[in-house]
Amino acid sequence: MNNNAYLDELESKSIYIIREAYWEYRNNLAALWSMGKDSTALVHLLRKAFFGEVPIPVIHIDTTFKFRQIYEFRDRYTKEWNLNLIIARNDIALKENMSPEKGRFNCCTILKTEALKQAIHRHTLKALLVAIRRDEHAIRAKERYFSLRDKEFKWDYQNQPLELWTEYYKTEAEAGTHVRVHPLLHWREIDIWRYIKRERLPVINLYFAKKGKRYRSIGCECCCQPIESKADAIDKIIKELRITQIPERAGRAQDKEKEYMMQKLRSLGYM
Amino acid sequence: MQDYLKIVVTGEVDSGKSTLIGRFLYEMGSLSEGVIEEIENVSQRLGGDLEFAYLLDSLEEERRNQLTIDTTQAFCKTKKGKQFIFIDVPGHKELLKNMLCGSSYADIAILVVDVQKSIEGQTKRHAFILKFLGIEQIIVVLNKMDSVDFNENIFEKVKGNIIEFLKKIGLQPKHFIPISAKQGEGLLRKSKKMSWYKGLPLAEALNVYMKKERNGDLRFPIQDIYTIDNERIAVGKIVSGKIKRGEKVIILPLNKEYNVKKIKIFNENKSIAKAPESIGLILEEMGDLRRGQIICKIRPPQIKTEILTKIFCVRPFNIKESLKFRCTTQASYAQIKQIKGIWDSASLEPKPKEGILEETDIAEAIIAMEPPLVVEGFERLNSLGRFILKDSKDICAVGIIL
Repeated sequence: MNNNAYLDELESKSIYIIREAYWEYRNNLAALWSMGKDSTALVHLLRKAFFGEVPIPVIHIDTTFKFRQIYEFRDRYTKEWNLNLIIARNDIALKENMSPEKGRFNCCTILKTEALKQAIHRHTLKALLVAIRRDEHAIRAKERYFSLRDKEFKWDYQNQPLELWTEYYKTEAEAGTHVRVHPLLHWREIDIWRYIKRERLPVINLYFAKKGKRYRSIGCECCCQPIESKADAIDKIIKELRITQIPERAGRAQDKEKEYMMQKLRSLGYM
Repeated sequence: MQDYLKIVVTGEVDSGKSTLIGRFLYEMGSLSEGVIEEIENVSQRLGGDLEFAYLLDSLEEERRNQLTIDTTQAFCKTKKGKQFIFIDVPGHKELLKNMLCGSSYADIAILVVDVQKSIEGQTKRHAFILKFLGIEQIIVVLNKMDSVDFNENIFEKVKGNIIEFLKKIGLQPKHFIPISAKQGEGLLRKSKKMSWYKGLPLAEALNVYMKKERNGDLRFPIQDIYTIDNERIAVGKIVSGKIKRGEKVIILPLNKEYNVKKIKIFNENKSIAKAPESIGLILEEMGDLRRGQIICKIRPPQIKTEILTKIFCVRPFNIKESLKFRCTTQASYAQIKQIKGIWDSASLEPKPKEGILEETDIAEAIIAMEPPLVVEGFERLNSLGRFILKDSKDICAVGIIL
């Protein structure tokens, strides 16, 4: 199997899942878009699944601490791709000066998870498309394609429903609960970059090395550290990923504040 | 070569499934920096030797209790460039649905047997499920050889028992490999401690396996109908075969024939598409198309009101209950009309043919469906030959059509 056929298969599976989610939830479905490489690939898959006209809103969870480039990218491509953008921001907490200085765990929970809760409520959403992948983190590797969050947003990871052949899922969600749908679960980091290259997708320039450093994963400026790298172009990133031993989220502070941090954040509704 | 072979690692509780995968990744050099360090720290704090299973068992509860709760996946690449995805699954009977979930993604399976314990309940059940899901390429590893001093006679005896059981369910593994996952013996290289073993070490045995091909007759279950630029498009994923622009296709159960006008992917028109592509399809006539119809060409499948099936129960349910039936994008109501037999999936002993089907029971049953659906025998085409049954809450059984 060559590179192309392999990417086609990953893509086809994701499009199938996106279309299943749209069939199930129709106008109560939205996608999360952080403008990072994965969720931008997700938005592209949405454009492909719906022949260029994305029928569902995309949500940006805005902590206001994001890199400047992220906001520029968002505004440019929202327009270019004719997206219906929802900005989810916890204004009350921001007025009370919530920031990473008050503890990263707290900050992530209040400015991301809580802001998302408000948006779900406001827009009566039943399901969210989220661009997480199994190879990002051992906790994310445990996920299902369709994953229920209860009224408190909790993920019952000890009792997940049966899913079979990427074809049968538990899609039902009682009032007040919602479903996270993960169409990119089976992609690896390197696959995403190969896909970005093949499909000529735009990416934020923070991913490319400047002065020997680049970001491998981006989010809030204050909580992201660049890695040592000379990869200043997509081909070089792909080459780097083929040999690196450094994990993708090495530069993300919120994963590492304490042990099982990611599990705890996720069990409370973090992505 | 970019594609990866998906390998599910199955077997009884504590046979060493997660340890096997963890050790394999470690030996292959597939682990990130920091990961080994993290595992060392956790192992030390939980008071034990370096525990390779923690690489897979990422949940706090899993590490504390030393058991796998849910299925997970890990990537790995050999020096020859062959790529694997290992799928870890729990061994406990109570967690069987998680095992089923993980196994449904696999191309091949490793069945791990603790050489001190021979073939036990869950090993038998897992073997049955693998066969049931159509995974017939199986490698058996006899683990914990270190605990029997790498003794050849014990290996041969246990191997004999396993062969005997697997024969009953129609499985004939090509490889029986003695290993010690904990010590890394028999994984990548021939073990010096077991020079009597003449077969391949695990990594080399895995190297020769291939994925199943997806040829065959055209089957395209319609997933949804979209209207884009005032044009109706039937979307879905081709589960087998090819479709070409201009050819005539049959739509079941409508039993109508229409010409293919356009095959669309994004903003591109294609002249041909094949499995497993997700496409959009415009036929000369679109008015009566909807989700759940099957588009095909030659040798069309049959429209059935009753089917003979084998089902595997994942949640207890009353056989008189009215159920929902799903096969690809088709949905119907179903009722079990007749039970031909019920068996325990580990012992394969028959059980009384009435009342409640218990979790992990197997049954042969005639199921009636309303409305009728388009199906095929599982042996002929997996995707239209397998189905799920749902009660009011969730999936209660998985089935194949005989």
